[in-house]
This record gives sequence, C-alpha cells and structure tokens, in this order.
Amino acid sequence: MGCHEVVQRALKAGRKLLPEHEAYGLCGEFGIPFAPARLAGNWEEARQAGEDLGFPLVLKIVSPEVVHKSDFGGVLVGITSPADLRKAYDRLLANVREKAGHVAVDGVLVQKAMPRGVEVAVGGLRDDVFGPMIMFGSGGILIEVFKDVSFRMAPFDEEEALRQIRDTKASELLAGVRGAPPCDLGTLARLIVNAGNLMCRVPELAELDFNPVLAYPDGCVVVDARMILSA
Amino acid sequence: METTARKSLDGLFNGRGVAIMGASAKKGKPGHSIVENLRAAGFTGNVYPVNAASESILGFQCYRSLEEITGRIDLVVMVLPADDCVEAARAIARRKDGKGDISAAVVVSAGFSELGTDQGRSREKALLDVLVPRGIRVVGPNCLGVMDTYSGVNTNFDIGAYRRGGLSIITQSGAFAVSYLKWAEPGRLVGLSKFVSLGNMSDVNVVELLGYLADDDRTSVIALYLEGTRQGRALVETAAHVSRKKPIVALKAGKTRIGSVAAASHTGSLAGRFEMYQGVFRQAGVVLAESVIEFYYTAAAFAKMPLPRGNSICVLTVLGGPGTLCVDELVSSGAVRLARLSEKTKSELRAILIPAANIGKPEGFIDTTPSFTEAQHREVLKIVLGDPAVSGVIYLTTPPLFMDEDALAENIIAAYESFAPEERKPLLSVIGFGSSVPRLRNRMEEAGMPTIEYPDIAAKVMINMVRYSRYKSRFDEH
Repeated sequence: MGCHEVVQRALKAGRKLLPEHEAYGLCGEFGIPFAPARLAGNWEEARQAGEDLGFPLVLKIVSPEVVHKSDFGGVLVGITSPADLRKAYDRLLANVREKAGHVAVDGVLVQKAMPRGVEVAVGGLRDDVFGPMIMFGSGGILIEVFKDVSFRMAPFDEEEALRQIRDTKASELLAGVRGAPPCDLGTLARLIVNAGNLMCRVPELAELDFNPVLAYPDGCVVVDARMILSA
Repeated sequence: METTARKSLDGLFNGRGVAIMGASAKKGKPGHSIVENLRAAGFTGNVYPVNAASESILGFQCYRSLEEITGRIDLVVMVLPADDCVEAARAIARRKDGKGDISAAVVVSAGFSELGTDQGRSREKALLDVLVPRGIRVVGPNCLGVMDTYSGVNTNFDIGAYRRGGLSIITQSGAFAVSYLKWAEPGRLVGLSKFVSLGNMSDVNVVELLGYLADDDRTSVIALYLEGTRQGRALVETAAHVSRKKPIVALKAGKTRIGSVAAASHTGSLAGRFEMYQGVFRQAGVVLAESVIEFYYTAAAFAKMPLPRGNSICVLTVLGGPGTLCVDELVSSGAVRLARLSEKTKSELRAILIPAANIGKPEGFIDTTPSFTEAQHREVLKIVLGDPAVSGVIYLTTPPLFMDEDALAENIIAAYESFAPEERKPLLSVIGFGSSVPRLRNRMEEAGMPTIEYPDIAAKVMINMVRYSRYKSRFDEH
C-alpha cells in the first residue's frame, strides 16, 4: 500500500514528522477530505500553485524541524492575490529563518483557504495500554486550554463516532448556535472513523492531529494535518 | 467464557476443602481471622489450618504440613511471611504432583512485586513458576482473596458473614472494597454475591474475572475498583460484551497524567490516562463513577432496581431545596430530561394534594409540600409511577418526627409493589434525615428500594441507570 512506502521512506530519512503534503496523501488514501494543497520548492512553483488552486490561499512552512508552525510565524493566511502571494512567500521564509534559525526546509505548502466553519479537532495516538485511540473535540489553537475532548478505542463505526461527538461541548456548536445551520454529522463521523482506520492500519503512525477540521452543513475538511512517526 | 478457563476460576469459589498455611491461634492476627471468618461465612466444607505449633484453632484440628491432610484440598490460603511463601508454594506443588488436588491458591501475604524491588518481583515470579504450570490459579499476592456468600468460601480477614445478594465485586484494593461493604452493612444497602480482591494481579486478572462473572447466574451487577491494567484493550473489549448482559459499575483510581515526554501533538498532550478511561468505558457501556459515594450508591441501586426504559424522569419532592438540587444535577447532564406528565396525571394529583402543591412547574417536578400524609404517599406514587411518560422517579423527603416511619415505609412499598415486576420502574428515594429514620430506611432497603442521603447523588445514580439502559437496549432482541 502506498501509505506504508511513504511512511517508511520518511522514517529511513530520519524523519519524525511526516511532511504535511504527504500527510494529506495518507488522508486521501483513507477517505479523509483535506484542503487542496501543493508543495512548492521555490517561488516559481509557488506562483504556479497559486494559479492552479485559485485564491484565497494559506501558506505554511514544511520543515522536519518545525512541528508547531504558528509558533514560528510559519503559517500565513489571507492571501488574496498573486502580489500577496509573492510577499507572503518571502515573509514566511524570513519568519522561519528569524525564529527557528537555519532549519532544513522542504518547501512551502500552498493551500487553498477554506470557508469559515465550525472548528473541531480529530486526533490519534498509539497508547501503551489501549493501542490505537482517536480523540475528538473542539478545535483551534486553544484546544489545550479548553480540553473539550473525548476518546475512543479504534477501530469503531459511525454510530460510535456520533456518540463520541455527543460527549463533547463541540456537539452544541455543530448543532448550530445563534441562528447558524447545523453541520453535517454523518460526514464528520465518517472522517473520525477513517482516522481510526488510519491509526490501525499504519503502525508507524505514533500520533496525529487534524486541527482544525472545518465542519459545514454539507461536509467537513481537514485544513491542518500533523503526523508523528515512530519506527 | 470458554469451559477450561471458566472451570479454572470455579476453583476460587467452589472448594470443599480449604487449607490455611500460616493459620494462627492468636486472636487479631490475619491467620486467625481468616479461619474465624471462613466459619462465620457459613462454610460447610473442611477447614484445614496448617500450623505446627497448635493442636487446634477455633475448634478445627491443625496440621503441621499439607502432607498430613488426608482429605481433599481445593483451595490453599497463604498468610505467611513473604520469605516463607516460595517454600510453601513448593509444598503445594508436591501435594499437587502427588495427590492431584488443589486448584487455586490465594496469597494474602505482602512482600512481592508491589514493593517495586527486584527482590519482590523475583519472589513473585518464583511463586508463580511453581504454581501456574501445575494448573493452579493464583489470586494475589498482597490481597484479601475471595468470598462467595452462596458457597461460604471466604478468605477475607476483614469480613466474616455478609448478607447475600446479586452484587459481585472485583477490586484492586481490598481495603477499599471492604470499606464499601462495611459502609453498606448497617443500612442493608448491599447484598453480596462474589468478591475478589486481586492484589498484585500476578495471575488471576480483572479481564478474565469480568468474563467469568458475566456468565455467573448469581451475579446481577459487577462493581469494579480499578487502579490499572496492561491489558487495556482486552479489558475494554471484554467489558463491552459483559455490559450487554449486566452492568459494570467502575471506579478508576490514578488520575495523574501519563506524562508523554514532550508530546509532539495536541492529542498526545491531552491524552491523560483518566480521560482515556472515561472514553473507552463510555464506549463499552461501563458506568464510570466520578466519586466514591456515587460508586457506592450506583452499584447498590443497580442491584435492587429495574432499569428505566426511557430517559424521562419525574422528581417528586416534599421540600423545594433538595428537589431543586436534584433537578439541577439531572438536567445538567444532558442525558436525562424531566418527564412531561399527562393531563390525567396532573388532575389526579390535584385532587389529592393541597392547592399550594406545585404540580409540573417545571414539567416533571412535583413539590407536594410537607402536607403530605403517609397514605397520600401511596396514591401519589402509584399515579406518578403509572404515567407512561415517566421512565423513573426520584422521591425526596425529610420525614417529620410526627410521621410514622413504619406507616410511611409501608405505603411507599405498597405503591411500588402494586405494579407487576415487569412493569416496575426505578424509584430512588432521597431520605434527607438519613440515619435518624433507621426504620424507614431499613424497611425500604429490605423491600429492595434504594435510599440515598444526597439529592445530587440520587440524580447521578439515575443518570447512570439511563445511560446504561441506553447502551444495553442497543443489543436487546426485540
């Protein structure tokens, strides 16, 4: 299976963090929807990616040494034109140089900016006691402050994923607050189940974060994926 | 559970010959209490105290060694100094090799892997290496052992006789489980079936015991006190199956973070051991209590009351304060709603209660005011329990001193029993004055009606019943 080769190659190269575009590749293999994105190794590739994907865009640094991208100015949003893209491209690399020093950089991930939705998080880990586990809850950068999360042992089915969603306060946001329409729980449950299958079938995956996952009335999409490997 | 696995655990409870290595003639010593409690529990099999220094203990003839015992030995209890246990195990092995009896050993003694030392661990390994290959199941070490109120087998040095019932206990802390039983005893809150204190859990473990008790007809509820297990996945998978048949009420100790060293992901940082147990127990239909008192009352209630067939609860109170506390707790859970009483129910109640009574504000809440006689209790409870929209009732009172405890108990019980068993709903009674109305509480408990002192805990117990019922009904054949 493609995923094993990708993961093995990364491990052989001494990587703990799977490059985000490859993480998206794994998502694709497991039926997990993700934002369209291209890895750009230079400005020309970035410019072309911008043209292919269309605006608005998000730029993210891809480096084996930068796990928490936002902490290093490694995520830039609100790119609405080619001119913006040029400026953002340079600024991104400069930010990372300044805050993280001379780290190895695979490139810049040019990602389509998705419309605003309810931010949830789906996580995975391989626990010593329980084995593959999936976490679901309220997402965003404050996730570790609010801790509105629930756990399940993978693999499990959509009915269980729906119950897992209902364990959290996030379910109230998903039901629609202040006049907002409710989000589609079926596709979200399927995403959660597939994340569980991913953890179960790729033993080299030690931890994963999909945060945020944006939920909408008609679907959901992963807009940031972190996959930590271990041999 | 597979037959040989089941039979090997049967040996813990069904023995007709129990030998106690380390039995003592000195009152107060565990080696003495074990003999005393075995007799007090009503054991009618043969008791063989092994003690070279005494002729007899508590009327039972002593033996200097296992060899001298001619009768059949099924279970051996070891209550010796740790250093002497491995040698004692060898004596058991010799006996087993020669006579072929002895199917189980309970090692009460401490001084093994729980010490966290190499010496302790190797001593435990040496013990197991002698016994396990011979098909002898080992409980412990460092435990209170086993009790079975139906067979009379009892190795517990803290408890002798105990009232019989359907609650079986599996515990990783003998002292904690004994505290529960002793707490419940004066009020007759609990009837015990089987008890297993696992200690270091070196052989007989929690996962197989859960499977065993699932098939035990004398167990209707399993109370589990858990500190930890390496077989997490097996525990959850087994529990998920057991829960389809009967409830597991659990209390999990050890909430400290597993401390993933510099977790690289948010998930890793958020995955505390307790949070994971909360999730997997939900998944497996295990009722996880959040406090000791909730654990105590939930297990007791499950053993006495039927499950609710829905989630609509009626709160019937004689006083506003505790009633409100109860409603607060019920509603905040999100798992339960207050019942919509029918117009028929409301008008029937209006005909009985005084005008100042609050009937249905909010929906499902009835405040009778203290102008509520013993006899009126019977009528009102019948009406409320009979409303099809009501899945369960929490009744709260602080009976005034002028009220006749016996008459009150009689009326409540009569109302409840006026329904055929298959029609009955859970009724939890919050008796605010607790032990100052012992006759009321005892009569109700004897009649199988749980009495709880705390309105918020009663709400939590009902929520637990609703949640478990929802899990179980997913698997019931229709």
